[in-house]
Amino acid sequence: MATVQFDQIKKSYGAVEAIRDFNLDIADGEFCVFVGPSGCGKSTALKMLAGLEATTGGTISIGGRDVTELGPGKRDIAMVFQNYALYPHMSVRKNIGFGLKMQGMAARDINTRVEEAARVLELTPYLDRKPRALSGGQRQRVALGRAIVREPKAFLMDEPLSNLDAKLRVQTRSEIVKLQKRLGVTTIYVTHDQTEALTMADKIVVMKGGEIQQVGSAEDLFHTPNNIFVAGFIGSPGMNFFHGTVATGADGPVTRFGETKIALPAKCAAMAGRDMIFGIRPEHLRVAESGPSVGLTLVENLGTEKILHFHTPGQNMLELDRTALANDEERDAQSMLIRVIDDRRYRDGETLNLSFPVDKIHVFDPDTNEVAG
Amino acid sequence: MTDTTTPHRGRSSGGLFATIDFSAPRHRAKFGYLLLAPAVLLMAVIIVYPILLSVSISMQDVRIARIGDGAEPWTLENYQWLFGSGETWHALWVTFKLVAVVGGLSVIIGFATAMLVNQKFRGRAAARLFVALPWAVPEVVATVIWAWMLDSSFGLVNWLLMRSGMVSEPIAFGSDPNAAFAAVCFVMIWKGYPLMSIMLLAGLQSIPEEQYQAAKVDGAGVWQRFWYITLPNMLPVVGVTLVMTTLWVFRDFAIIHVLTQGGPLGATTTLSILTYEQSFEFFRMGQGAAVGVLTMVLCAVISRALVGRMAKSVH
Repeated sequence: MATVQFDQIKKSYGAVEAIRDFNLDIADGEFCVFVGPSGCGKSTALKMLAGLEATTGGTISIGGRDVTELGPGKRDIAMVFQNYALYPHMSVRKNIGFGLKMQGMAARDINTRVEEAARVLELTPYLDRKPRALSGGQRQRVALGRAIVREPKAFLMDEPLSNLDAKLRVQTRSEIVKLQKRLGVTTIYVTHDQTEALTMADKIVVMKGGEIQQVGSAEDLFHTPNNIFVAGFIGSPGMNFFHGTVATGADGPVTRFGETKIALPAKCAAMAGRDMIFGIRPEHLRVAESGPSVGLTLVENLGTEKILHFHTPGQNMLELDRTALANDEERDAQSMLIRVIDDRRYRDGETLNLSFPVDKIHVFDPDTNEVAG
Repeated sequence: MTDTTTPHRGRSSGGLFATIDFSAPRHRAKFGYLLLAPAVLLMAVIIVYPILLSVSISMQDVRIARIGDGAEPWTLENYQWLFGSGETWHALWVTFKLVAVVGGLSVIIGFATAMLVNQKFRGRAAARLFVALPWAVPEVVATVIWAWMLDSSFGLVNWLLMRSGMVSEPIAFGSDPNAAFAAVCFVMIWKGYPLMSIMLLAGLQSIPEEQYQAAKVDGAGVWQRFWYITLPNMLPVVGVTLVMTTLWVFRDFAIIHVLTQGGPLGATTTLSILTYEQSFEFFRMGQGAAVGVLTMVLCAVISRALVGRMAKSVH
């Protein structure tokens, strides 16, 4: 158990900078999740922490000890891989005990520790099977067993759930969190799935293009995103964005959504006359008696909730390529979404009036993509 | 699926095949057999018939085989000679020695070169080509070159050995039994290790990188990773390549024939050379065929092991 520190970590491949200015403190026993789209450098950061990739600059410390130049075996960490990386020719027992064997532990002690780990993970009946005779979920647990049996200073997990089917993923997700809470081992977990990040982490590190975008709890990231990327990435479906000019109305700053004026947070008063990007989450938009009217283009019924799609008014449409959302393939500047949980029936083509709760509107500077005001 | 066995279709195209819809589930198998038939017939003619013929010849007292000339009565004399003569046992012994030396050393050299060119370094593509080169040279051409290089009077090898002071007089690769056997082994390994290397390289590349990474995190050093990860993962491939090399050494004729003609004193007479000697030097076709049949049976047993291994090697 230990703290983990990244200090000015850099990684370049030739002229390409994969990671720059990576500074992060992870507290003892914390569950820290690195999240970001593919190619954002999250796995590289984890591999540098594991010692599987060399750093180009900076220092990494585990438990206050500088491990930057140490090999993976000397860092006292355990790692769980995406495809589990079990040794196919070894039984479950030998797979779990391999790390201890490499440490030169006596066979009897290894066996005790392996059986204890197997008991915790409910793997006892499978100890003498080969990995190929196990299901995906069981293999996953063997990989976890291999990590916990070592009693390392930190667990490193590289997308450990992505090879499981949806149901098992949700189940294993909570098992990992419970296990981590019980063992209290500092854990660094990499995923591209923001749901995993939100549900599991004490601390989330959102990355993009090799840079940390924001570090914080799930609450922080969800309610006070630093920039347009974090705002769009966290949450499912992601935040709606639209474009507008700030004007001064009778009761404070306003902007036009379509032809209708909507009120903006008070801080926008200082931005009068400027073009800004506004964001509002689909679940914060309200169907109302008055307010901007929109025509539904698609109604997705998910049982408890419904996702309503409507066209972003032409003058409010964002030029995605000019924002930090340029590479987000799921994003469509032409539509905005509303997430509703009610008993009303919605039909395609129906016209609704919306209200934009003023305290839920996020304001971003189109030039910097950072939150404004 | 439409039913094309309607009277209309049947009449318009005529013929039996046109009336059967081969895409229908109940006829699908028939179409498969129909497509297989030419290949099966061809194999029967060019593989099965000669095998049967040689088994037949091996049981006749034939000097020069002539087909359709009225077969000799069947006899087991050739097999009595086969198991009774020291020649066969000697050839078997030479063959097994050769298999052991060539197979063993090719695996070691092939493994080492495969591991080498599996590393990332500048000029890896060139190194891979270089490793595979002996395999690309035609066997007879390569052997003729080596025969010249190993020549006791004019050969490059002896000249180098003398110049470097490793030997005081030229090694008689042609007349010293041990030297001749060593020369054959050397050329066979030179010719045989690239295939090993290529197959083992393919095997090495199929080992997931994560297994090595996991082992590194677990604290395994270089040798431990080789012993606990590389070797067990490679065993099926090593098995298959070893059997393939064994089959090749068993049957190879050109290298030994060009280099030593099986001599001196039968030191390099393998079963293949013995077959050739009996059939085309002594014109005892029946005895030659008997040796051939023995070789075939041994190879069949080894092939069976190969197939078994391949089936098992699927994780």
